[in-house]
Amino acid sequence: MANKAGPQRPNGTAQAKICQFKLVLLGESAVGKSSLVLRFVKGQFHEYQESTIGAAFLTQTVCLDDTTVKFEIWDTAGQERYHSLAPMYYRGAQAAIVVYDVTNQDTFGRAKTWVKELQRQASPNIVIALAGNKADLANKRCVEYEEAQAYAEENGLLFMETSAKTGTNVNEIFLAIAKKLPKSETIGGSGSGQGRRLVESDTTAKTSTSCCK
Amino acid sequence: MAQSRFSKIDEYGFERPDDFDYQTYETFMSQYLQILARRSKKWTTLMKSEQALKKKRILKSYIRKGIPNEYREKVWLHVSGANEAKIKHGVDLYKKMVASTHDTTLVEAIRIDLPRTFPDNIFFNSSDEHQEMLFRVLIAYAHHNKKVGYCQGMNYIAGLILLVTKNEDSTFWLLKALVENILPDYYSPTMDGLLTDIDTVSELVRLKYPEVSKHVAELGLPWPVITTKWFICIYCEVLPTETVLRIWDCLFNEGSKIVFRVALTIIGLHISEILSTTQFSEMNDCLKKIVKGPPTVHCHNFTQSIFKVPGKLTTKVINRIRETVSQERKQKKD
Ligand SMILES: Nc1nc2c(ncn2[C@@H]2O[C@H](COP(=O)(O)OP(=O)(O)OP(=O)(O)O)[C@@H](O)[C@H]2O)c(=O)[nH]1
Ligand SMILES: [Mg+2]
Repeated sequence: MANKAGPQRPNGTAQAKICQFKLVLLGESAVGKSSLVLRFVKGQFHEYQESTIGAAFLTQTVCLDDTTVKFEIWDTAGQERYHSLAPMYYRGAQAAIVVYDVTNQDTFGRAKTWVKELQRQASPNIVIALAGNKADLANKRCVEYEEAQAYAEENGLLFMETSAKTGTNVNEIFLAIAKKLPKSETIGGSGSGQGRRLVESDTTAKTSTSCCK
Repeated sequence: MAQSRFSKIDEYGFERPDDFDYQTYETFMSQYLQILARRSKKWTTLMKSEQALKKKRILKSYIRKGIPNEYREKVWLHVSGANEAKIKHGVDLYKKMVASTHDTTLVEAIRIDLPRTFPDNIFFNSSDEHQEMLFRVLIAYAHHNKKVGYCQGMNYIAGLILLVTKNEDSTFWLLKALVENILPDYYSPTMDGLLTDIDTVSELVRLKYPEVSKHVAELGLPWPVITTKWFICIYCEVLPTETVLRIWDCLFNEGSKIVFRVALTIIGLHISEILSTTQFSEMNDCLKKIVKGPPTVHCHNFTQSIFKVPGKLTTKVINRIRETVSQERKQKKD
């Protein structure tokens, strides 16, 4: 992502920090990746969400105390054969949400494979969250909360059960990720908020030691 | 078609989005209806002749100006080679494949996608009938071509062919022609053909529109992000439906180079818009917007321009680039 870093503006008033992070969603088809993004970005839910071909890109901003965190969200296609395209999307990502469907054991297995691949191939400091989605379908549950939580703990992942349908834990999981991401320097937080380019440079993306420039 | 002009639903059953640009559409339709009437007359005369489909040169020029919907099924089946394949494999292949025992994993994968295919289309969302037709086509094809099986994206292609032909058997054969002859290896597990063509189009953009190529690289938007859906869905769910069908008319007749011509035309008609973007999220939004803008809504002009805007583009050149980029990709893998 060779974006140019924005101009450092002297900032008069509030000491607002603005950070921008690349976040990727991975997981088997139909577990609800696009639905989680749609809920988080637009507050909506579609009973029949179209399958994602390739990938979709969206942005959303959250506020954390004194920091504004802007997520660049990459929502990928879940079908196994689209796998070869995935590295392009998680390359340079500072965060990932690996999603499974609590009503489908196979999707949990697939989530574990994604976690392994990220640990091996993605940026070393990537923050990984595991989302057990469709938690509203309690009577169809196949993956126990405890099982997933134990796995997440072993692997140092954030973990929540979510529901894109009801909205449960959707903002929360993004917020938890935002909190865990390293936020160091400050970027000019003054003025219009428009036309600012504040994407990290190539070098920081690789080392991912600091997110803000 | 005239009555759909002010309707919320288009002639293929798609609900128009809330932000649908009725004004652009009306201006376009007032011209297009006349073109359609003229073409329809010409085609009716042509099709009266026994030899109609053998006159390759005339047919090509007629097809580029658009096949009237009532002849699409017949002409597509003929020019795509689907009719020949049907004779070769036996006319009852589709029926046999529908009746065969089906693999449960495939059934599941396809079933999951049925309600997720064109949920905004009244034929697909009002009753199960279309979804079941689509299921039979996809499951039959997956068992006929076990190497490909089912790849997401095929649901949209088969779905749109169904909306045009209203015939499962024809949809099966046309899907087969696309997947096996026109776009080989796009939908197979390795997606090698797709990956090659994605690299090929980026090379073609570099040759034809170097400034766009440079700008895209600078903003760091990888080409596959832009083109995967364009190619996998052959512009279905990307460009306006009527425009997609006009492209498919040419694609069935002339083959995969049409896919490149379309990509280059979308870019070539919007160079200044693309160059004016300053970060990749903006460029991403720009590319999503231009595929729905007036130049693509005017499907007749757009289809004419795919043969003009990108300039000369021969199959030989395309194949040479394909070879180079696929070798490069293999080397990277090793
Ligand atoms: N009950 C319930 N259904 C959900 C939930 N999230 C998603 N769904 C449904 O599950 C289906 C698949 O959701 P998507 O968001 O398209 O799944 P995806 O992971 O993006 O799938 P691909 O794009 O194919 O990889 C849709 O029909 C959704 O309506 C949820 O939290 N609860
Ligand atoms: Mg999706």
